[in-house]
Amino acid sequence: MGSPDSKVSRPLVFASALAPVLLLAGILYLLLARGTGIYLEAPAPIEKLEFERVVLRPGEIRAHVINTGPETLTLAQVQVGWISRASWEFEVAPSATISRLGRAVVRIPYPWTPGEPYEIVLITANNLIFSHEIEMAAETPTPDRQMLGAFALLGVYVGVIPVFLGILWLPFLRSLPQRWYFFFLSLTAGLLVFLGVDALEDALENAERVPGPFQGVAVILIGLSVSLLGLYAITGWLKQRRRQAKEMNTALLLAYSIAFGIGVHNLGEGLAIGGAYALGEFATSFLLVVGFMVHNLTEGVAVVAPVVRTEFNWRHLVWLGLVAGGPTIAGTLLGAFAYTALWAVLFLAVGAGAVFQVVIEIIRYQARLAGAGSLASGWSLAGFVLGLLVMYVTGLFVTV
Amino acid sequence: MVPRDRLLVSGLVLALVGAGVLLVVPGRRAAEKSGAASRAQAVEDAHARHRPPTQGSGLYQYAPPVGRRFDPSQVYDPAPPPPGRAPSGIREYTLVIEEDVPHEVAPGVVVPAWTFNRTVPGPVLRATEGETLRITLVNKGTLPHTIHFHGIHPATMDGVFELVPPGGQFIYEFVARPFGIMPYHCHSMPTSQHIHNGLYGMVIIDPKEGRKPMRELALVMSAFDLDRDGEADFYAWNGRAFQYADNPIELVRGEPVRLYVMNIFEEAMVPHLHGTLYHLYPSGTSLTPTEYTDVKSLNIAERALLEFQYDFPGDFMFQCHVTEHMEQGLMGWFHVVDKKDLARHRER
Repeated sequence: MGSPDSKVSRPLVFASALAPVLLLAGILYLLLARGTGIYLEAPAPIEKLEFERVVLRPGEIRAHVINTGPETLTLAQVQVGWISRASWEFEVAPSATISRLGRAVVRIPYPWTPGEPYEIVLITANNLIFSHEIEMAAETPTPDRQMLGAFALLGVYVGVIPVFLGILWLPFLRSLPQRWYFFFLSLTAGLLVFLGVDALEDALENAERVPGPFQGVAVILIGLSVSLLGLYAITGWLKQRRRQAKEMNTALLLAYSIAFGIGVHNLGEGLAIGGAYALGEFATSFLLVVGFMVHNLTEGVAVVAPVVRTEFNWRHLVWLGLVAGGPTIAGTLLGAFAYTALWAVLFLAVGAGAVFQVVIEIIRYQARLAGAGSLASGWSLAGFVLGLLVMYVTGLFVTV
Repeated sequence: MVPRDRLLVSGLVLALVGAGVLLVVPGRRAAEKSGAASRAQAVEDAHARHRPPTQGSGLYQYAPPVGRRFDPSQVYDPAPPPPGRAPSGIREYTLVIEEDVPHEVAPGVVVPAWTFNRTVPGPVLRATEGETLRITLVNKGTLPHTIHFHGIHPATMDGVFELVPPGGQFIYEFVARPFGIMPYHCHSMPTSQHIHNGLYGMVIIDPKEGRKPMRELALVMSAFDLDRDGEADFYAWNGRAFQYADNPIELVRGEPVRLYVMNIFEEAMVPHLHGTLYHLYPSGTSLTPTEYTDVKSLNIAERALLEFQYDFPGDFMFQCHVTEHMEQGLMGWFHVVDKKDLARHRER
């Protein structure tokens, strides 16, 4: 055996890299041609069909389904449940025979009425049953001017207005004495930790709707870590640049980090709200909109907390608000008209990662300004706990 | 700086709300007007599909998708064997039990059924009161089976303890009595499973003096729970959901019809005819009707003999009046024609 650093010819290096791959391909070919030799047949056919999206139009229910089982399956019958189930006529496009990971749209000419609960039941030729519940039927929004306007407005109410209202506290925060500064920074950290955990919970909830092969929980892990580590790298790079150009102060940068983290979180939240509406699981009620407004008011405070003692151009406030609140509009629109659980999970996880990263930034910022000991001071601890409590109490208004 | 901040930010908020309102309000009225009209049209379209079989392909709220109708040759013949007497006085039948026979319970949906002579329900057996019924059970399945007959017979012919092993045979022999409609079904344990999976059928025992000859139909009401969740997924006349909706039963206007009907599922069922009423002979054990009605609740394993006729031609639904049962398969059509039209209709 030569030592690891002995010279080996290039082709040999390539061959050694490719050998396992080629051998695997060869074995797979043999297995495909001759079978595995393992004769373990399932006692019953294994089929899996999942609902990706259900669209309600007047006189029609449209179910978008995906075959996530190991084999091709054929849809044979459809029933619609209202108190009890009824067999109904249906059409499947492109085909009632759906290959693995293939998609199809089942059109059911059913005269549903608004506000009623329904169950869509699909029965395969192997007599397996897959069903989806519509908790409260409502016409699925079509992207016309009226509905686009309505969902954009929902985004404005839920995301933009509360953030700007929160920002309006800036003059009040500025009038408070110096020692309150760390109190509000810690309060922000508390708010953000709550938001992050909340987003993770939403992500896990939505992950249950993600078709099996797409591994919703793994998507959370990827979204969370990529956003956490990615933002870490980006803020590191920005700080370095700032040190060189002296164009932006650290406090403002932190405010933008917070705004960005909250923005991604709000995008995910908007997706979940719009998506829940599209799936017929949620009605936009006055109370709920009010609840979200109260809940998200705190986000505005979080955004401006770092810059309370800093002089800066007021235009930054507009940008901060838009970065934090604006994505909600995109979220509600995307969620309502193109909801898939996968995207909601991804954005919620990215949002959680961003929010957690910002918490780390806040802690480092405070430690640099006032020493690590200040983190354990009574003001900081009280602020952090109050941040959690504020989110909990305002969260009581939001019951999706 | 402080008051200016406040002013600017509140101005911005107001502008955003204003923009949102302006985005929505104009055009909303026009959209609502045209929206309501198209909505009403769509709902009308959905209902317009509910047509009787003679007025197009659509059937009342259920039409199988293209290519998914029942193969007419697979439809269970609703006509029972004719009444009569065996010259020897002995009625002989052979019932062969098989397991996991593919049974199309609704168009395109195939379940592994346990069957007598490869059909669900098993064949209608018929004898005249006082004749000897000799029924040979051949068990070609993998489990022990029996046949339990309702009626009056010795304990050894009751088909509860005489388990017939796989590959085995057993001959049930008893005098057919009393006259009426008697269910038969497997009584092997667990009986719920053996019955649910398809091992049931009807015995018609005619009175010695006979009944007035007329057109006869035999219908067994049952149900299938595909996912074993305790709730049936399809209900059926003679083992297949909607088979007489796909393939209506032709009747002649003014001609009397006798219907033998039996419920073998674990829920009460209510056979109901549209456009006429029936004379009811509960269990078929009497020669005089007890009631003239169009709904009769048949409890579990209960049966009835119904006599009726149609005074008008056209398409008349026959259904279970438990709407859930109807909507999951217990629905069919009588296509009533005038006698003079019959030949012409048959040609088509």
